[in-house]
Amino acid sequence: MADAVTKYRHKIYAIGVLGFVAILSILYLLSAPVYVYIVAYMWFGFLYGILQQYGRFCFASAFRDLIMVKVPRMFVGIIIGLIMLSIVNSYIVSVYPDKYIIESIGFHGLLGGIIFGLGMVFAGGCATGSLYKTGEGNMISFVVLLSLAFSQAIFNATVFDWFKAHFITGKTLNDWGVTKLLFGGVGNPNAKYSFWQHLVGDTLINAVLVGLVLLIGVYIFVVRKPYLKRRTRQIAATAGATADGGTVKAGFKDELAGFWSMISASRRTSIAAILIGIVAGAQIFTLAWLQNRYNFTNFGQVLAGQPAVHQKLPNGKPVSAKAPSSWPKTHATYPDVSHNNTVFDPGYWYITTQEAMLGGWILRHADFSMANNSYFGQDNGLPNPWLSPALLLSVGLIFGAAFKSLTAREFKWKFPHSKAQWGYAVGGGTLMGIGARVGLGCNIGAFYGPAAFGNPSAWVFFTGLFIGAGLSAKYINYFANRMMASDDMDFDIKL
Amino acid sequence: MKFNKLEDGKYELDVTGYVCPHPQLYTLKCMDKLQKGMELDVLIDNPSSVESVTQACNGKGYEIVEKTNPKAGVTALKIQK
Repeated sequence: MADAVTKYRHKIYAIGVLGFVAILSILYLLSAPVYVYIVAYMWFGFLYGILQQYGRFCFASAFRDLIMVKVPRMFVGIIIGLIMLSIVNSYIVSVYPDKYIIESIGFHGLLGGIIFGLGMVFAGGCATGSLYKTGEGNMISFVVLLSLAFSQAIFNATVFDWFKAHFITGKTLNDWGVTKLLFGGVGNPNAKYSFWQHLVGDTLINAVLVGLVLLIGVYIFVVRKPYLKRRTRQIAATAGATADGGTVKAGFKDELAGFWSMISASRRTSIAAILIGIVAGAQIFTLAWLQNRYNFTNFGQVLAGQPAVHQKLPNGKPVSAKAPSSWPKTHATYPDVSHNNTVFDPGYWYITTQEAMLGGWILRHADFSMANNSYFGQDNGLPNPWLSPALLLSVGLIFGAAFKSLTAREFKWKFPHSKAQWGYAVGGGTLMGIGARVGLGCNIGAFYGPAAFGNPSAWVFFTGLFIGAGLSAKYINYFANRMMASDDMDFDIKL
Repeated sequence: MKFNKLEDGKYELDVTGYVCPHPQLYTLKCMDKLQKGMELDVLIDNPSSVESVTQACNGKGYEIVEKTNPKAGVTALKIQK
């Protein structure tokens, strides 16, 4: 019996994790039927966690491994996933035009990307990666998440409005979506487009075309040379290949084979990214359906007990003035909800802002003035963490990743055990937090989501990510070379 | 991170406890120090790094001779240059 328990211990823990999330869901549903909305966020997070852990889905890895150790698998995987996500999104925005959001293009995107890119390489994972790695038992990533939460919250409460007024407002290109530029409608918030128009503008041009250019670039600069060297060596080794005394040269067919080997090497990440695209689409439909059913456009209205009477539900019907009986009998006021009765409720796969909400809530209860700004005061409020819907997505994501890593026997507790590890985690997380607020989003909110929605702004943030990640990768590489500078064939390095 | 000589032509590297990018970075730097035919046993407990090392070895033509899980969450790789 004891042997069986030891053998299946990880599977038992995995079932325990699943059971815990199920019990938490039941408690929410018993509190108020409308909390099914929070439960939905949590289970979508759980699915993201499983998929991200399976695909090792991490943008820091995508940039850093490409630059530092010439491994393109993650970079290729996220580009393939982007194409899938964009197809799904093109369909969604043709059904729900309100979800078609165009981010502004400006200097803030480049600067935010650079700061975020610097941070994510030092931290050892992007915002998404740090969440799933926390689920693997990696408490260094948890320190990164806490640093991300507090740095964002402090930035929002102190510098954000000043930064916005001086560097964003009036200094950006607005409403520049590829579909809008192609088919007309820039500056018209009510412009609507068909699925095929979105597919051409958002998917074909902004995701497939740009993605293909990047993949070809990666092939030429990273993969091609070593691949062709191996290929010609293999051909030369074939009996008779050089019988005439000539040299073996690679042709176009070999180039195509090399390109395909690069694509197929990232199978695991690509599969995960494609499934994430489908789950992200399902999340939008499910949450919009729940908003229709429970009569709200933002969960803050539920917490405040006040329907948004002059607004329309996602299905276009007007919001009813009467709060349904399924709502809790709470009447949250500012700053639990914003002045506009809203909380952070994106209805989509978001990663970083909800951690800012947690940091803001903790600092508020430590008697810091946190709500006297547009971010918390006007837009997102400072709700209890357990009633902050998107935060439950992050919680679900951590548990999903824990479930998956336990079933795969990959779960292992890891704690920071040196000053350098604390430094990388706190410094990297803080830089990511600042970068996410300067750039108005993280690797998902300012890059992956907008890129899939046909936003050129995403590629500005991407350029910044590449520069920032490249700089910190260079630093870490330089530091490693210094540590290993001696010719000794043994060392004991403590980072 | 400990890098030791086990016997002639055989080395070991323990990068457990470390997170990205250090396990893959130091593994590949240690491989750079080895000569053709030599072997390196690496212990890694960061799942993402295991895959990065595997892919990097494929790219460089190093062979992963053996891959085992001595205990939950830990992967042992035997890499031949």
